[in-house]
Amino acid sequence: MDKKYIYKGEKNYLKYLSHEKIISDEIINHSRSMISIINRDYVYEKVNSTFCNAHQTVLDVIVGKSLVDIWGKDVFENSIKKNIDLCLSGKTVRYEACFKTPKLGKRYFEVVFRPLSIDSGEITHLLVETFDINDLKRSEQAVIEKEEELRTFETNLPIGYIRCDPAGKILLVNKAMLRIMECHDERSLVNVNLKCFYQEEGLFDMQMEQLIDNNTKSFGRVSLKNLKSKEIPCRISGFLALDKNKKPAFIDFAVEDSTRELMLENRLLQSQKLETIGALAGGIAHDFNNILATILGYSDMLLDDLPKDSALSKKVNKIKGAVIKANSLTSQILTFSRQVEQEKIQVSVSEVLKETIGFVKSALPDNINLKSRFSQKGTTVLADPTQLFRVFLNLMTNAIQSMEEKGGILTVNMTVVDGKLIQHELNKDIVADEYVLLTFKDTGKGMDPSLISRIFEPFFTTREVGKGTGLGLSVIHGIVTEMEGEILISSLPEKGSVFYIYLPVSKVYTELNGNQEKKKKILLITGNKYESRILSLALKNTGYELIYVSDRRNLIKVLGCISDCPELIIYMSDSKQIQAEDLVSIFKNLKIKTPCILITDTNQELLEEKILISGIVKQHLIKPVSLKEIRNAIQISLK
Amino acid sequence: MPGILLVEDDNDLREMLKASFIRRKYTVIEAENGKDAISHFKPLITDILVTDLIMPDEDGLKVIIKLKELKPTLKIIAISGGGKAGPGSYLNLAKALGADAIFSKPFSVNDLISKIEELLLTEQPV
Repeated sequence: MDKKYIYKGEKNYLKYLSHEKIISDEIINHSRSMISIINRDYVYEKVNSTFCNAHQTVLDVIVGKSLVDIWGKDVFENSIKKNIDLCLSGKTVRYEACFKTPKLGKRYFEVVFRPLSIDSGEITHLLVETFDINDLKRSEQAVIEKEEELRTFETNLPIGYIRCDPAGKILLVNKAMLRIMECHDERSLVNVNLKCFYQEEGLFDMQMEQLIDNNTKSFGRVSLKNLKSKEIPCRISGFLALDKNKKPAFIDFAVEDSTRELMLENRLLQSQKLETIGALAGGIAHDFNNILATILGYSDMLLDDLPKDSALSKKVNKIKGAVIKANSLTSQILTFSRQVEQEKIQVSVSEVLKETIGFVKSALPDNINLKSRFSQKGTTVLADPTQLFRVFLNLMTNAIQSMEEKGGILTVNMTVVDGKLIQHELNKDIVADEYVLLTFKDTGKGMDPSLISRIFEPFFTTREVGKGTGLGLSVIHGIVTEMEGEILISSLPEKGSVFYIYLPVSKVYTELNGNQEKKKKILLITGNKYESRILSLALKNTGYELIYVSDRRNLIKVLGCISDCPELIIYMSDSKQIQAEDLVSIFKNLKIKTPCILITDTNQELLEEKILISGIVKQHLIKPVSLKEIRNAIQISLK
Repeated sequence: MPGILLVEDDNDLREMLKASFIRRKYTVIEAENGKDAISHFKPLITDILVTDLIMPDEDGLKVIIKLKELKPTLKIIAISGGGKAGPGSYLNLAKALGADAIFSKPFSVNDLISKIEELLLTEQPV
């Protein structure tokens, strides 16, 4: 007891003390923390009301009880005792723990043990404060979860993400970006200036300037080079974030690999080009045939007039010979431009291929080795066997010619692949269920990549002028395209080339069992009439008949005729002449309630939403679709 | 002599065919498009129709349908320089519509004339 109070009178001092006690008790009891004092024997000597409340009991019940009584032996031994003992050695101990109290249940707490020395210098007691940090912990956990969520969100996105400082130094990259850059460790990108990965460094500076002006900007396609120095076309957009002082803080870039997009675009462009050349060449070939017919006719007349075996008749025969040569050229052009109807029948691919190989082998140079491997030999496609023979022969002849000088190996493989798996390889909106894949691989001269895209153009040849017409591959392309197939090429100069021919396997589909006698009509609205063929093949023998329209006038004509009204409408979004809006208004005006299947590109959703809203759409498919998906959709829609 | 209606839009080719038919002493009536052929058709003196298929102003298919209607016994030969793109080539369509023979350009005139002779032979009832 402090002596100075004694002089002022014991009574006053006691009053003062009781006053002080009330105040300190108030403070202690109103604290939101559980506060207690325990002695060296692990017995509670004092606790506050918060402590009692949490244990749903009163002070007297707890005071005098040991910690084991209150918390149980296990908790005491495992988590409390060691901390108390540490504290008793003179240290303040602070730790987080999750435990249960009768009132609050299981919660997170921060526990602090402070050593106390009452009277002597020895530590006789501990002051225990237990703060409820459950809410804090919860929000902390929520933040962690959110962070985790965001992290998986950004890492699983197929879009590359880069954060740079305002100078362009990379701070963060996501996994997609690592994939694009073909690198395994983000350390090879972080701290490097993004500029280094631009094909044109100047472009990067320009884009940064644009970002400072605009904050957000799409830069369209930009060529990046990855760690392997491979050029990658990417779609890049940037966002500039400002700090509190409105100064650039960092820049986020979204990077989308558009290699495939570019490839498809090029292929589309290429096929459009071929289509145009085809139409042009086909038109010329057609007129040419008229001229040739005239020359041939007059030659025949001359031959009639001239004595046989005369010098003059020999000359006329030369004219006739030339006409026949010219005719073979025009007929090739017509095949290339797909203006000759092929008589298609069910053909076993391996039979034709075997026949061709036999033919080629008979004249195979000694320095060339021919290997072949077939699987699923019975597979048939719908084709003109002569044309198919021509395709195989041409490809093998080309391969052999490219190896003529140095010799090599020609490998021919035939296998069947699932259409679904190669959906994205093929430049098609509708993909057949299965394709026969024929591979013609040589070890010859190969081609420069820049030539690959051009070899199907008619009159394009890599041989010397005068050798070959340059029509061969364009004719092959015409035949394969006519069969709804596709040709892909990979080639390396001096290594050789591989030609991949995909031909749709022809099948009779039994799941659509319509009435064969009275065929029901399915209307296809499409801008690409070639798409309709593979679909009409698929519907063959099913009791459904496919009619197709590509313009408004015909659509109204077909829909207006009630007796001819289709059972089902399939709308492909490539139909430029009939927009989705048109379709909705036509349907409204004619009060058409026919079920509709919608086939669209992913990026056209907004437009088609209008049709979806109009309620007639039963099924919505995204390109490229497989025939199987279409058949399923038809089945469901017609139920 | 039997009469041939020759429909062909290519002048040179028509001239040539006309000349070769006349040499064989056929009567030739010529038209340079489908429309003329239909409007100037003389059933009594026409035994056989030789028509091109792709022509301006009514194509050969229309001519075949129309003239077959007017004279069901008419013999028909269709000639064409390779059908345009699309399902069903013109020549096959012509055959489906009742053409007795089809010739793809360029063809041998001698073959065409033999075909004409053959068709006209079956025409003559005893």
